[in-house]
Amino acid sequence: MADQPSLWDARPDEPETASAAPRAALAPRILRVTDLNRRVRSLLDADAVLADVWVEGEISQPSFPPSGHCFFTLKDANSQLRAALFREELARAVIRPEHGMNVIIHGRVRAYEPQGVYQLYVESLTPAGAGDLHARYEALRRELAAAGLFDEGRKRPIPRWPRRIGVVTSPTGAVWRDINNVLRRRYPIVELVLSPSVVQGATAAPAIVRALQRLYAQDRLDTIILARGGGSLEDLWSFNDERVVRAVADAPVPVIVGVGHESDTTLADFAADLRAPTPSAAAELATPDGTQLMTILGRLRDRAATALIGRAAERRRFVEGEQRALARLAPDIGSARQRAADLIDRGGRALDDRVERRRMLVAGAHDALRTLSPSATLDRGYAVARAADGRILRDASAVAAGDPLQVILARGTVATRVEEARPEGAEELFT
Amino acid sequence: MIDDAKLAVLTDEELARHPFDELVVALQQTVQRLEAGSTGLEESIELYKRGLRLHAACETRLREAELTITELGRRGVTGAEPGEA
Repeated sequence: MADQPSLWDARPDEPETASAAPRAALAPRILRVTDLNRRVRSLLDADAVLADVWVEGEISQPSFPPSGHCFFTLKDANSQLRAALFREELARAVIRPEHGMNVIIHGRVRAYEPQGVYQLYVESLTPAGAGDLHARYEALRRELAAAGLFDEGRKRPIPRWPRRIGVVTSPTGAVWRDINNVLRRRYPIVELVLSPSVVQGATAAPAIVRALQRLYAQDRLDTIILARGGGSLEDLWSFNDERVVRAVADAPVPVIVGVGHESDTTLADFAADLRAPTPSAAAELATPDGTQLMTILGRLRDRAATALIGRAAERRRFVEGEQRALARLAPDIGSARQRAADLIDRGGRALDDRVERRRMLVAGAHDALRTLSPSATLDRGYAVARAADGRILRDASAVAAGDPLQVILARGTVATRVEEARPEGAEELFT
Repeated sequence: MIDDAKLAVLTDEELARHPFDELVVALQQTVQRLEAGSTGLEESIELYKRGLRLHAACETRLREAELTITELGRRGVTGAEPGEA
């Protein structure tokens, strides 16, 4: 079908200048249709304004043949103009042409010789009326910010050790290759789940939303990367689409958005949990650095070794400490023993002294006792006289003549009676 | 998670197949326990051996890993939209 030549479904040829030059003729010249069309085309191609024109109008009856191109009529109240939007430009377009849509088109006007018509070849189209893209961007940014989609409080931390990372991007672009390369070098342990999407043109926004939702349906995803290479504001426009921004904000797991270059900030960036300046940076922010990991792991191993050595040293110090303590105690035991021995010696000696003193005391006492004993007195020739009642007689007046007396001698006793009591004159006995 | 009991029965090969982050966490915890100083010398030596095994497993994983890629809802070239997966 695409092969069938038609007015709409073809690109203009390269301008031909030489063959279109008028032929010299005196008589009225009869041109062939082809020649005439070629002449018209040359005229149009030579016009600087038509080669680079901005035109505003309303789209009418757009058609999308299988070739992938788009054809429509652009009109205003009084006039209309045929327009062709080829597949490549359509893919890059911010909006998809719809019937009744007011647009501003940038393009060039050329003739299409086979059918003798001129038409507008669209390079880019933007919606008219809502102002320019920057104004729309600002308006939507304010609206979504007011809705809380960009709140710092919504932002979740990026998992430090992801196992599965979902990626939404175009699988045919350099971006996907870059992400692969970064992760292969940095953290090949991770599993990538690619959810492919076109990331440019009018169809991109819904496609990105679908690709995100395919990932949201996956379980065990740790992080999602939404990425696209750099481009003009128009190229990146789908990342400012409200549907995409809301889908990013709704993500069940943290999303890193890496779109364009450092200076490009799309609304999807604001809604992301983390904004990466580029797609490669997004891959880096999503993963730990494997090359540094080796160092970190080595450091952990070293710490284990240090701790073990420390534990062993501690043990040794403890044992040594005990030994020193024992060593300190040892002389004390010796001296204690010595002291004990001294004490025992002294004790012994003291005891001996005391016993001896006692013995001498006892012996002295015995002598004294012997001296005091009446038997010793009796031995010396004295006698003891007792009355009948047993009283020892010391006074002659205590007895009268005839009283019985008992006289105790050193050996034996004598029973007698008192002849006469003479209380005075006893002294004579000793004189 | 990888605990003492699990580690005791796993071969090094089985250990290396564990999720990398679990290996790293187990290694970190082992080192922290060792550093805490509340373990006896015998237990410390066991912890150290355990740390060495975990470290080796981590390194093996990191060195031998190859990036795996799964693609959802396979599609053709740019332009046409994929049928919903």
